[in-house]
Amino acid sequence: MNNFYIKATADSPEVNFDFDNHILHIAGEAYPENAVKFFYPIITNLNNYLQATSEREIAVNFHLIYFNSASTKMLHSIFGLLNKNAQSNMNHIVVNWHHDEEDDTVLEFCMELKEDFHWLEFITIGTISAH
Amino acid sequence: MQLDVFSVFCETADHKGILFYYSGNLSQNVVAAMGDALKLRLEEWGAKGGMARKLFSGFIEMMQNAVQYSPGYPDPSGDKIGTIAISKHYDKHYIVCGNLIKKENIFRIQEKLEALKNMSLEEIKLAYRTQLKNEDHDKDALSKGAGLGFLTLARDSSEPMEYMITDVLDHAELAVFFLKTTI
Repeated sequence: MNNFYIKATADSPEVNFDFDNHILHIAGEAYPENAVKFFYPIITNLNNYLQATSEREIAVNFHLIYFNSASTKMLHSIFGLLNKNAQSNMNHIVVNWHHDEEDDTVLEFCMELKEDFHWLEFITIGTISAH
Repeated sequence: MQLDVFSVFCETADHKGILFYYSGNLSQNVVAAMGDALKLRLEEWGAKGGMARKLFSGFIEMMQNAVQYSPGYPDPSGDKIGTIAISKHYDKHYIVCGNLIKKENIFRIQEKLEALKNMSLEEIKLAYRTQLKNEDHDKDALSKGAGLGFLTLARDSSEPMEYMITDVLDHAELAVFFLKTTI
């Protein structure tokens, strides 16, 4: 399966889905003009990979520092997709959730996802911001 | 503009605690460029992680609302225009935004904002969670996002959001919508 890569821009994140090694990485900021349009190819590629994958260890490395409201909705859908797949295809999906210690919003979103999606394992990793 | 007028303008802005001000054309490119500038300024002011994040988030939500929903100015160029300011008074920060709306959308906006005014933070967070999981939102033909914009702004505002709607001279179909949040 082809790996999937999108370069970061001022308003959109870096996405690096290394499907061969089962490592899914997303980092940066997400406030594109049209979140549905931006996330569509990401979700399509992820879905194809998940359909073809079972009984694997999958790591999701989440490094987003800011996402706007429309992107939050899309991220919720992505984690819903992962959750469903963890159950149906018996994949063990670990989400490494990196967040700024001073920023409650990113951590709170993780807590909400944890409540909604029981088949995913979330590990929160706090980092101290530079300032 | 006379330099002495401009000098007074700058001094007044400074005196009133205006940290950031923009008035002009709005597009996603302008929002992204201003976002970068704002981030640098927030660092300069020493805004802490949570505060900086909320100011940046409020700024983006308001600006993207304006880009998504405001009609173009009828003359001369048809560009979307808007105004935004971030100010500080003691330990409180305010974000204020003004942009054009269609008069036909006033009721929809008022309904949403009046409901939020009377909600506690807990209720706002619950409404946010419900909307986040709402699979039927696609059916809302007027919404161009996730239906989470005002809820996100309300969640981050330490005081109820204020808004004001005024007429536009010579354009009966338009109004100016002003919104204010407190961080």
